[in-house]
Amino acid sequence: MNRKLGLGRRVSRLWHHFFFHKMSESSNPAPIAQLSTPLSSASGQSQPATEVAPQTLPIRDSKPAQPTGDAPAPTDGAADKPLTPAELKKKAKAEKAARRAREKLEKDGGVPNNVTITPGAGGQPRLPTTPKKDSGAAAGSPQKGPRVPHARRGSGPGAVAQTGSVLVEQKKKRDDKKVAIFGHLYGQQRRSTVAGVTKEVHPAILALGMQLIDYTVCGSSARCVATLVAFKRVIESYTTPLGTSLARHLTTHLSHQITYLSTCRPLSITQGNAIRALKLSIASVDPSTPESIAKTNLCSFIDSFVREKITIADRVIADSAAQKVQDGDVIATYGGSNIVKETLLLAHRQGKRFRVSIIDSRPLFEGLSLARDLAAAGLDVQYSLVHAITHAIKDATKVFLGAHAMTSNGGLYSRVGTALVAMSAKERASGVEIPVIVCCETLKFTDRVALDSIVVNEIADADELLPAGVPPAYVVCDPADNYVPPPPEGKKGATRPPPPELPVSCKPPASPLANWRNTPNLQLLNIMYDVTPAEYVDMVITEMGSLPPSAVPIVHRMVTNL
Amino acid sequence: MPSTSLALTPGLGSFLICLKTNPIDTSIETLISLLKRRQIRHSRSCATATAYLLRGVISACRTADPAKLIERVQSVGRRLMAAQPREMVVGNIVRRVLGLIRDEAEDDHDAEFALGDIGAESQPQTPRANDDASVPLDRDSLGLRPDDRAPRPPLTSMFSLLSFPEPENSFSSTSGSSTPGGQPAPVKDVRAEVLEGIGEIIDELGQVDDQIAAYALDHIHSNEIILTHTSSTTVQKFLLKAATKRKFTVIHAESYPNNHEDTHATVSGRAVREDDSLSVEAFQKPLIEHGITVILIPDSAVFAIMSRVNKVILGTHSVLANGGLVAAAGTRIIARAAKVHQTPVVVVSGVYKLSPVYPFDFDSLIEYGDPSKVLPYEDGALIEQIDVQNPIYDYVPAELVDLYITNLGGHAPSYLYRIVSDHYRKEDISF
Repeated sequence: MNRKLGLGRRVSRLWHHFFFHKMSESSNPAPIAQLSTPLSSASGQSQPATEVAPQTLPIRDSKPAQPTGDAPAPTDGAADKPLTPAELKKKAKAEKAARRAREKLEKDGGVPNNVTITPGAGGQPRLPTTPKKDSGAAAGSPQKGPRVPHARRGSGPGAVAQTGSVLVEQKKKRDDKKVAIFGHLYGQQRRSTVAGVTKEVHPAILALGMQLIDYTVCGSSARCVATLVAFKRVIESYTTPLGTSLARHLTTHLSHQITYLSTCRPLSITQGNAIRALKLSIASVDPSTPESIAKTNLCSFIDSFVREKITIADRVIADSAAQKVQDGDVIATYGGSNIVKETLLLAHRQGKRFRVSIIDSRPLFEGLSLARDLAAAGLDVQYSLVHAITHAIKDATKVFLGAHAMTSNGGLYSRVGTALVAMSAKERASGVEIPVIVCCETLKFTDRVALDSIVVNEIADADELLPAGVPPAYVVCDPADNYVPPPPEGKKGATRPPPPELPVSCKPPASPLANWRNTPNLQLLNIMYDVTPAEYVDMVITEMGSLPPSAVPIVHRMVTNL
Repeated sequence: MPSTSLALTPGLGSFLICLKTNPIDTSIETLISLLKRRQIRHSRSCATATAYLLRGVISACRTADPAKLIERVQSVGRRLMAAQPREMVVGNIVRRVLGLIRDEAEDDHDAEFALGDIGAESQPQTPRANDDASVPLDRDSLGLRPDDRAPRPPLTSMFSLLSFPEPENSFSSTSGSSTPGGQPAPVKDVRAEVLEGIGEIIDELGQVDDQIAAYALDHIHSNEIILTHTSSTTVQKFLLKAATKRKFTVIHAESYPNNHEDTHATVSGRAVREDDSLSVEAFQKPLIEHGITVILIPDSAVFAIMSRVNKVILGTHSVLANGGLVAAAGTRIIARAAKVHQTPVVVVSGVYKLSPVYPFDFDSLIEYGDPSKVLPYEDGALIEQIDVQNPIYDYVPAELVDLYITNLGGHAPSYLYRIVSDHYRKEDISF
C-alpha cells in the first residue's frame, strides 16, 4: 500500500538514477573528441575531411566533393578503409599532389626549405606552414582549382602563392555564408554602387538602379512602371549611330540598360514581360520610318502599355475587388500590396464599414506604409507581425493578397510569408475556411512553374536581417573590399586578412549577429519570395475578370498572343 | 521589501537571495510581485522559484500536521497562481508539492494504522531540528549541480527503505526508522519527507534539460535538416547533445519581436542570460562551434524552407493535458507549415511543464506583450491611429504535434494524460 502510493516519486527517482549514470558516462567522451580533433588533423587521417566539409548542406554535400578529382585534394578521394588497393591509390595520389606542390613552389621561386613534403604513413601530404589553408583548399568547391593558377599568372613571383590562397580562402569564406540549398540563387553579387558601369547606361537607368537596390522602388508593378518610364527617357535621348538601323541597334542599346538593372536587382516577372513586349515593338519598327517618328511611336507604345496593363488594370481590379468587401468584414492582408491598398481605399470610399488586419514581416516592413495610408484615410486598422498570424487571422472573414507573379501551375509567387497567411486562412482551428483572394494584373502572369519556393526565388542581402538600429554601413564588411586588390604583402600577413574585423569591432551597438560574416558555420538567409500552392488561393481578380488560379496559363497565353 | 537584493536585476537570482535572507512571508510577496511584473519569465525559472519558495514555506511551518501543511501550501499556491495565471508551471509545482504531502501523509497514516497508533503525539519532536539544520543546508550548497549529486540517490528515502538498510545509520531519524517498527516508528516526520521530495523536484528542474538531451541521439540522424524556433535552452541542449556525435544542419527561425535578441545571441554563441545563471552549463559551446551549420531565417521564410526540413524541434512554454501546448507566438504557424509538408514536429519539454489543465477557452491562455516591440513608440502618430498586437504565446493543438520528448522519454500527444495522472493527484488538479 505504502509503496503504491509513492509510485510517482519513486518513478522519478528511478529516472534520476538512470540519467545520472547515463549522463556521466556519455559526457566523458565529448571533451575527448573535441580535444582529439586538432591532433587527428595533424596526423592526417580521414577525419579532417569531415571536419571541414560540414559547411555545405547535406543535400549538396556529395556534389562538391567528387569533381575535385584533379585538384590537389588528397583528402577526399582517399578511401576510408585501409585496404591495400585503396591505400595504393591514396599513396599515388599523395605523391602526385606532393609533386605538384613542389613544382608550384619551384616555379614561384618561393622558399622551399620551410616546406617538407613527405608522403607520410597515412599518405597525407601537408604543407606545415599553412595547414589550415591547405585543408580549406582541399575541401573547397571545384571552382577554386583553376583560380589559383590564374592568380599566379597575374602578379609577381614572391607573394603569389599566398595571394592565391588568400583569394581561395576569401572565396571559401564567402561561400560559407551561402546557404547551400539556395546556392543556385546567389549568382553574381548585387551591385551596391554605380562604379564600373559601362558608359552606355543612361543616367535615368543609373538612378533607377540605385532606387531598386535600396527598395525605394519596390513592388513588381512599381518596378515595371519605373523601368518603362526610364526606358522612355532612354529612347528619347537615343540617336541611331550611322550604319545601323534603329530596330537593330536600339535593342542592343537597351540590353545594356537591362543588364545593368538586373545587376542591381534580379528583374521581376513584370519587368521581364514588359521588356519582352517593348523589344517586340522595337523589332517591328519599319526600317523606313524616320527616327524621330519611330521614337515617338515607341514612347507612345510605352505610355499605352503602362496605362493599359497597369494603371487601368489596377483600377478595374480595385473596382471588382472592392465589390467583394462587405459591411462588417474583417480583411486580412499581408505586406504592402499597392493594389490591395487601392481596393481597400475604394471600398472605404464606397461607404463600406470593415476592419483591416495587416500582417507584416521583417526586414522590409512593407505593411507599415500600408497601415499608415489606410489609417490616414480613416480605416480601422490592426497591425501585427508574422508571429501573430494566428491571432490576426482569427476573426478575419477574407484575405486579400497582392502578388509578385502567378505561375502557370497556379502558384502565387509573392513576398515571403504570404504562404503562411494563406495557409492559416485555410486551416483555421474552427474549421471554417476564409476565402483567399489575390489581386493581380495579368502582366504578372508567367509561363514558369514552381513547385516550391527554393528553385525560383531571390536572395536579398543577408545583412538586411541584422536588427534595425544598427546602421548597415557599420556592419557590412563589403566582401568586394577583400577581393579587389590582393596587395603584395608580407608572407605572414597574407595568411589571414585582418581588415574585415576592424570596422566590426569598433561598431558601437553590439548586436550578436553583427560579426556573423566572420563567425564560422553561421549563415543568414534572407529570401524575398515564397510560393503559395494553388489550393490555398480561391480567386484571382485580374483586369480580365475573376478567375480560379488554374486559369493562369490560359490567360497568359491569351495575353501574350494578342 | 526586496531591497536586500542589491545590484541584481529582479529575477530568479535576486529571488533566491531574498529567500535566504528574508522571512518567508516577504519572499512570498517578492515572488508574487516578480510574477506580476513578469520579471521572472522562463517556465523553468518560475518553477524553480516556486519550488524553493514552497520548501521555505514548509520548513518555516511549525507543524507536522499534513492537513495544515496542505492548507498552507494551497493558500500560498493560490496566491502565486492568481499573480500569474498563465504561468502554469507555478501551479504544476504547487500541485506536485501538494501531492507529495498527501503521499507522505497517507504513508504515515498507514504506518500508524499498522502500528496501532503508538505515540501519535510524539511526532513533532527532535527530528525536525535535525532536519532543519541538515536538509536545507546541504540542498543549498548542492544547488542544482548534477555532479554533486553522486552520493544522493542511495540516500533517498523510499529506495533506501526497501533496498539498503545502511543509510539509516547516517540519516537515522528522517527516513528508515518507521519500517523496523518499535518505539520511534511514528516519529517519521512528514515535513522532512516533503522537504526531501521538494529537493528532488528542484533537482529534477536542474537536470531536466540534460535528461531530455539524452534522447537526442535517438531522434536526430546524420545530415538532417532541423528547424527550430526561439532560444529555448532545452532545444539547444538537445541539439548540442546530438551535435557531439552527428553532423546536421539547423535552421533557426528568429521569432522576431519577442525573442529575436536571445535567438541571435544563441545562434551566434554569445548568449548571456542572467535568468539562467543557475545552470552550470551557462558557458557551453554553441552549435556552430561543434561544426553544425546554423542558418538563421526570418519567421516569414518558414513556409518557403519547410519543404527541405526533415524535422521540426520546438520548445514550449507549457504543455496541456490534451496534448496541446502553449508556446512562443509563431510556433503554431511553424507546426502548421510542418504538417502541410508532412514534416514531423517534435516538442521537447520537461515534465514539469505538463499541466493538468484542459483548455476550453484558448484565448485565455494567450498573453499579450509589449506592442512597442512590433511598432516602436517613436512612431507616435501612427500608433495613435492603429491597433498593434503582440501576442506572446500561441496555442498549438495536439494534432499538429507528432511527438513529445520529456525527461521520461518520448510520448505521443495522446499519451500525455497518463503522465498527468502519474504526476498530479486528482484532488489537487483544481485546488
